[in-house]
Amino acid sequence: MKEIVNLTKLFINESLGLSLFFYNQKFNKKEFYKQLFTLIIVPVALIPAFFMYVSLMSATYFGLTMINQTSVFLSIGYIMATVLIIVFGVMYILSEFYFSDNIEELIPLPIGQRKLIVAKFLSILVFEYIFAAFIFGPILIIYGVGQGMGLLYVLLSFLVFLTIPVLPLSLMTALIMLMMQSASLKGRKDMLQIVFVFIGLVVIFGVQFWFTGQLGNGDEMDFQQLMNTMLTNNEGILNIIGYVMPSSFLMAWALNKITLMSFVWVGALLGITLLAGAVMVAIGERVYLKSIVSGKTIKKGKQLSGAQRSKALGKKSHGAMAVFTMDLRLLLRTPVYFFNNVSVVIIAPLCILLSVSFIEIPPEDLQGMQEFFRAMPLLINYLLIAFFIFFGGTSATTASTFSREGKASWLTRMIPVTARDQVLGRTGVAILIQSLGIVFTIIAVQLIFPLPLSILLLTVVLGILGSLPILLFGLFMDMNRPLLNWDNPQKAIKNNMNVVITLFVGMAYTGLLIGISGLLGYFVNALLGYGLFVLISLVISAIFYKVINNRLEAEFLNFE
Amino acid sequence: MLKLEHISKTYGNKNEKAVDDVSFEVYPGEIFGFVGPNGAGKTTTIKMIVSLLAPNSGKITINGIDNQNDILAAKKQFSYVPDSPELFEKIKGIEYLKFMADVYQVPAVERQERIEKYLDIFEIKDAVNDPIGSFSHGMKQKLALVGALIHDPQVFILDEPMVGLDPKASFELKKIMRDHCDRGRSVFFSTHVLDVAEKICDRIAIIKKGKIIEVGTMAEIREKAGSQESLENIFLELTE
Repeated sequence: MKEIVNLTKLFINESLGLSLFFYNQKFNKKEFYKQLFTLIIVPVALIPAFFMYVSLMSATYFGLTMINQTSVFLSIGYIMATVLIIVFGVMYILSEFYFSDNIEELIPLPIGQRKLIVAKFLSILVFEYIFAAFIFGPILIIYGVGQGMGLLYVLLSFLVFLTIPVLPLSLMTALIMLMMQSASLKGRKDMLQIVFVFIGLVVIFGVQFWFTGQLGNGDEMDFQQLMNTMLTNNEGILNIIGYVMPSSFLMAWALNKITLMSFVWVGALLGITLLAGAVMVAIGERVYLKSIVSGKTIKKGKQLSGAQRSKALGKKSHGAMAVFTMDLRLLLRTPVYFFNNVSVVIIAPLCILLSVSFIEIPPEDLQGMQEFFRAMPLLINYLLIAFFIFFGGTSATTASTFSREGKASWLTRMIPVTARDQVLGRTGVAILIQSLGIVFTIIAVQLIFPLPLSILLLTVVLGILGSLPILLFGLFMDMNRPLLNWDNPQKAIKNNMNVVITLFVGMAYTGLLIGISGLLGYFVNALLGYGLFVLISLVISAIFYKVINNRLEAEFLNFE
Repeated sequence: MLKLEHISKTYGNKNEKAVDDVSFEVYPGEIFGFVGPNGAGKTTTIKMIVSLLAPNSGKITINGIDNQNDILAAKKQFSYVPDSPELFEKIKGIEYLKFMADVYQVPAVERQERIEKYLDIFEIKDAVNDPIGSFSHGMKQKLALVGALIHDPQVFILDEPMVGLDPKASFELKKIMRDHCDRGRSVFFSTHVLDVAEKICDRIAIIKKGKIIEVGTMAEIREKAGSQESLENIFLELTE
């Protein structure tokens, strides 16, 4: 047990960089204050969002009281927390179990496989408990206070809270271990990991849309009956939710009304959770280290003849092209980078396509929507532009471009490539990925609303132009404070504040840009609106370009 | 060819200087060895030369170009291989070499000739199409050496180049260093292997706690030390 606790502490220390933090406190004050600032500013920045969330939940609770559906409240919160834990947990599981370098140092040590698995799982769990406390905690409190619950509710809800992240994470970890075993055994680990996770996502979204489609396609009579049952019977919605996630039944039965049976239900929930944990550990013991070891066998390339080498070396390319190619290769070949930076441009249009495939929109509704958009061309244009900017602003490609290189960044800083070529190459990669998203979106949109070529051209050009300031801002941020000292590529993205700041600044900027130019276009003249859009984008891009161009060489000297 | 004038560097808020008023010059056609105990400031000095760190004070010129005023032009004058070359693991060896040839703007014919030559010498021709992640430490070092030699640099800078190399590759590297200098170029390298430094270096600098405590040819160092002993013995006496 002591060994598990020590290992868990080690993994948490590694994830948070605590040792480095305390070292900097003594020996590198500048770096220490930077880290401290981040540690303070992030929670402070989230306070308004947390209060908004609590207010929203309180309003939802009172809304449900009005329609006699208070028992649904806990179930909605439970499902929401579980879904969020799964969504954020997948990358944490992959990262801690598979992308972290510490396993290579631990395998030769005389530590049992079970202890390694449990400690890694616990280190993920600590973060997920904090997350669950902010998501599910307020729900338990609002319900308890609203229903005037007593001490027994507090005790039981605490026990339920303990199970919240364990159950979904155990099942996800077991599933991922099985998937990764198949991926590792085939030799082409990176490619298969990408393919497997995409298949998983497609299945999840497919089921989701199929389910929504089934609800939406039910005939009107049944739907009316369903609504009546839901409004008159307190357990109506509960049953529907329960079918989606059965463990929510146990939670709801235990906490909605406190009776002697509540202890039985909580006991059952704890039992199922422990069982899920045991299953995960049992599967892990069979496959985890085996797949790690076999996964280390990297598939070698074919031997090249002199002529093939000569062809591969090619002719002299431009510096910007060399940077572009290298950055793109790293992005596409590192699964973590691919998921974080590229997958959104495939998944978002895929969602549109799937929703179109599974949800049948009646022809008259579709016609009505098309007529509405025909009458409001400005709206659809700006909607599309916003969607295209979204691909540029959210992909984090430029905001992590130097961070992604990690310890190999010495190479980038040593080579004689101009700042202009660095900017062109790295921004070019981001635009290429954004363009993929744009192309997929256009294909999906054309299936619903065939748009004229002129509108497509206009929205594509403005979409790319509008995202340019965000891309350059991301590059500027990562140039100033790159995260290079990582042992796990996941950290270059997930622990990177440049990505978060760029995302928030990008969203605010997009809102302002589209708001101002859209209003000008609507109230004065559409062309003037687009003109202002172009002008703002060009001016801000030029400013950032100038700053990066002047500062990049000097900043390279400050990377260490 | 490489000149350091009163270079100093302090890390973080530590009062102790990692590099303290270091000055020396590497002449054309010279192999210059840089030796010193662990933590003496060798790697910090090298990083300042290759523009990975900014000195707090002093001036570094490479082939007459100030590496702080005209960073890009200075970078074109040298190539550098660190002690533990961390390379892009997901990239194939051949892709890495093309990247290096492109960023140094090496014409097609020359890049092919040089790459073929050095791949042969270091015996990694068969592995060059594999991802770098599959390379051993020594192979990565060999690949980094080939990449550094692609543009035939004026100054070839290496940090602990012999660590990780097999005996044959070590021997070949020493030959390459000599050939390089015979063509009027320079080699600057740090090492812990004092036998190597003694045998192949034209001049040597010894650094201790950030300060240069001796510079000169082996004969000059022996004369100053008043001993005819090996560099190893003199080094131990000087650094005690």
